[in-house]
Amino acid sequence: MQRDRVYLGLYLVAVLAATLIHDPVWLAVGLALVLLSAGRQAANLLRRAVLTVLAFNTLISLSYIGMAWWQDISPWQTLLRLNLRVLLLTCLTFLFIARSNLFQALSLSKNLTYVLGLAYSQSLIFRRAHEDFRLALSSRSLKRPGLLDRYRASAAAVSWFIEKSLHAATQSSQALRSRGFFHD
Amino acid sequence: MHIPDGFISPQTYLPAYVAAAGLWTYAARRVKRDLDSDTLPFLAAYTALSFVLMMVALPLPGGTTVHAAGIGLLAVSFGGWMAFLAVSLVLAMQALLFGDGGITALPINALAMGFIGSFAALAAWKTLGRLNETVALFLAGWVSIALPALLVALALGVQPLIAHDVQGAPLFFPFGLSVTLPAVVLPHLLVGLAEGVLTVLGFRYLTRLRARLA
Repeated sequence: MQRDRVYLGLYLVAVLAATLIHDPVWLAVGLALVLLSAGRQAANLLRRAVLTVLAFNTLISLSYIGMAWWQDISPWQTLLRLNLRVLLLTCLTFLFIARSNLFQALSLSKNLTYVLGLAYSQSLIFRRAHEDFRLALSSRSLKRPGLLDRYRASAAAVSWFIEKSLHAATQSSQALRSRGFFHD
Repeated sequence: MHIPDGFISPQTYLPAYVAAAGLWTYAARRVKRDLDSDTLPFLAAYTALSFVLMMVALPLPGGTTVHAAGIGLLAVSFGGWMAFLAVSLVLAMQALLFGDGGITALPINALAMGFIGSFAALAAWKTLGRLNETVALFLAGWVSIALPALLVALALGVQPLIAHDVQGAPLFFPFGLSVTLPAVVLPHLLVGLAEGVLTVLGFRYLTRLRARLA
């Protein structure tokens, strides 16, 4: 528990530092340190981070190159700084997620830990169900579903999630009350 | 719509954290006071609902899709403060548990999408609800997307003005308001139409479901 809080503190300080440093060399040193800290998982961590930021950063970078060419300025320093910073912050976050338990780090508040734990577990269930809905539609369609079919599928999924949420909330409330959670 | 990490300067995200922390504290007190011991499970369930609504793809003609946010639906169904907390928790979970979004952008996203989006939707619903429920719900959904998009565009567009080096090169997001306003706001004016439809249909379904469960 103590270790997780230390990790959370270190992570927040590192995030702040990464946004206060503007020299690309130091941002690159920071990225190297994060990858060194990741040990054998460094390649995997870097690959995940690159894939996460690739689409948005490519769009921003190409647009900025176009604008810089139009305005006759050099874009490279700005782009290097921007992309290194985004990559560093993303790697930092993935390293923090891999190394620490956020629920333990936030265990100073019983209610916060509880809400986060319940919301996270239900979100994981919903995410899986959402993927099942998607696969169900594609596996039952011989050709690409039409607009109306996709509307119906989305509506069915949303109604299922709303109904499930109401039931889950009622059940959790009753379960917690019967176990004396609110009267500790 | 929400901003990824690395594009917002500390001059922006640190004051935004102070503002958001104050609102989160007040919202937590309000929600707790209004909904007694059921508050926590309901908050958790609506957070999960908000999370999954952001994953649901709304089809558009031409084969493309946009992603719902469900902010308008949450606000008119469960109140502005509950919606604000649920959306903030979703953004925090996405940033810190799923690695999507960003910790530096979290307060801006929470203030724009969670706070402004929820209360703009609620205002539209309360102002127009007595005149025409369908129009009010549709506008609630639309404004819950359009207004946060405007704020996100403003937050991004001011970055080159407030964070640049001695030569004037941007240190964070590199485009000014002349680029961010049309690039972010215009597509979301259209996305808001799909969100408006979701809010109308979702609210009707939820009302029927609550009556059945009561």
